[in-house]
Amino acid sequence: MATATSSTGAPPPSLTFARPVFAKLSPHPYLLRTLSPDSPDQQPTRNNGRSPQQSRPIQINTSSLSQAHGSSLVRTGDTTVICGVRGELLPVTSIPQFRPHNGTLYDQDEDDEQRARKELRDYDLLVPNIELATGCAPQFLPGVPPTTLAQTLSTRVYSLLHGAGVVDGRGLRIWYTPENKKEEGDMDVKEEQEEEQKPEVVAYWVLYIDLLFVSFDGNPFDAAWAAVLAALRDTKLPVARWDPDREMVVCRKGGDKGLDIRGLPVACSAAVFLEKEHAEVGKGEGNRHWVLLDPDRSEEGLCKEVITVVVDCSEEETRVRSIEKQGGTVLGRELIRGFIGVAEGRWREVKEATGI
Amino acid sequence: MADRRRINGPPGSTIPPVFEDDAGQPEIMNGKGRDRAPNTIRKMFLKTGVTPSASGSAYLEFEDSGKSGVSGLKLSCTVHGPRSLPRSSPFSPHIVLSAHIKYAPFATKQRRGYLRDPSERDLGTHLETALRGAIIADRWPKSGVDIIISIIEGDQDRETSKSQGDETWDMMNALSGCITVASAALADAGIDCVDTVAGGVAALVQDAGEDSTPRIVVDPIPSDHEKVLGACCIAYLPTRDEVTNLWFKGDLPASDAGLYTQLVENGMQASRNANRVLVECLGEATS
Repeated sequence: MATATSSTGAPPPSLTFARPVFAKLSPHPYLLRTLSPDSPDQQPTRNNGRSPQQSRPIQINTSSLSQAHGSSLVRTGDTTVICGVRGELLPVTSIPQFRPHNGTLYDQDEDDEQRARKELRDYDLLVPNIELATGCAPQFLPGVPPTTLAQTLSTRVYSLLHGAGVVDGRGLRIWYTPENKKEEGDMDVKEEQEEEQKPEVVAYWVLYIDLLFVSFDGNPFDAAWAAVLAALRDTKLPVARWDPDREMVVCRKGGDKGLDIRGLPVACSAAVFLEKEHAEVGKGEGNRHWVLLDPDRSEEGLCKEVITVVVDCSEEETRVRSIEKQGGTVLGRELIRGFIGVAEGRWREVKEATGI
Repeated sequence: MADRRRINGPPGSTIPPVFEDDAGQPEIMNGKGRDRAPNTIRKMFLKTGVTPSASGSAYLEFEDSGKSGVSGLKLSCTVHGPRSLPRSSPFSPHIVLSAHIKYAPFATKQRRGYLRDPSERDLGTHLETALRGAIIADRWPKSGVDIIISIIEGDQDRETSKSQGDETWDMMNALSGCITVASAALADAGIDCVDTVAGGVAALVQDAGEDSTPRIVVDPIPSDHEKVLGACCIAYLPTRDEVTNLWFKGDLPASDAGLYTQLVENGMQASRNANRVLVECLGEATS
């Protein structure tokens, strides 16, 4: 590291490498040099030509897959991810420890919403999985179990789906109102009369949310989350009803209904680049740092500390859905507060790309 | 034993949606038919360089046939290498190919799992054979190359009834697409080949109707026809006039040997057509 800091003064005359070669050979000093230009009128730039607070433009396409109920393709720079949502049916008879629903079809109150949210979690109705082993980058090759990164990403998407309450669980219930057949009841007839007319939940839709990375160039979570949200918004489930004769759920073609998606939480990630690569903890005073928004693959390799903020500005005031930070001590309370402002800017970009 | 490294969903098994008018399907089916000439393949879109961090990559898409619920094939291929083999592997005087084909979970009518099933492994073996004939393998001793194909969308008709058993015929179309896209990705990676190899499918089909006789078509869509009697997928090198892989499935009368030759001829013709698209795409990429 000593060589890197001492070389910041005079331009080294012996440097005969082309810029990309030097960037590959010693990435940390190279990025440091581009971020701290010699003359003050030069703007600090990153290797990819962006300024530290500049993110890559996002591009969202939906409904490009015909076999899935909802799909999306998200591209930010060289990161490309495809998401497909597919609904399958889960009859309540195959749910162990199923607690019959005591609400009714027409409940629209707060209680029912909470209950639906609990159902989503208890019965595991959302199944997100992220596949990285598609050769999307040289380190992700198939034939091995999912990498730690793939597992972490899946879990983060899973917990954010539940935590932010994106999907309204009430739309995933399938109701059935039994017909009154008094004469066939062989038990106490009077009691059944009242109970039988009550609609009951017979099955749930399970949403399999599968993500496939086609190309990987850093910041996988932001792209994956944008893809999940766009695909869920695009999802249209067929109208399903319970057929008492066949004792199964049947669907009808036509009249597919969209899901009820609440809010538009947008993830925004940044990495912290330190001047001294292996600085000791607690001696960080002289260590300059840069917060690099939307890091790419090479920058992710150089930064330890990353932060992901999920914000939703679709209501009047900005709601913070989650903050995840790991790997360092640079980002304190003030910086995180400032970063939320940056995330709001990102939210507007993503909203525009979503086209709503 | 459930896969503990993935999110598996509810412990009870889920069922894909069943539609109430499934029984009424065959009548609607008969209205469809093939609207291309027997010797033309569907239009395709091929592009190289979709995954910048890989040595080579390509994306292939077949035009969908304009019917609702029928998708075109969509494939993405990445090539990593040539790179040195791991220390533990034995010495090899040639490049070691490993081909890996995986359907995405949302690619087909039935949701696919994340673990490769035997049919995907089978496709991988066929692809490997097809490419081995094209690569100049002894230029890279002690090295390996990985070819990974993700089938983003399979060539399947969502409306077709399951009884037709079209999965097997779909695999043929998928393999021919895989061969073409892998060849483009190999060229993009700069791996020396004797020629560009492309895949083509020809099939003997029986159309609906009492008086129709079996005929040979290229690039078949199983749902267009009443029945597919036999199909063959060919990987063909046009300048050398060599077939590197031939995969035939079906039931042909042994008395008519000419029929089989004709099928292979037609497969080669389909492959030549695909090869033209491939060459044009590579020409665009280099210019």
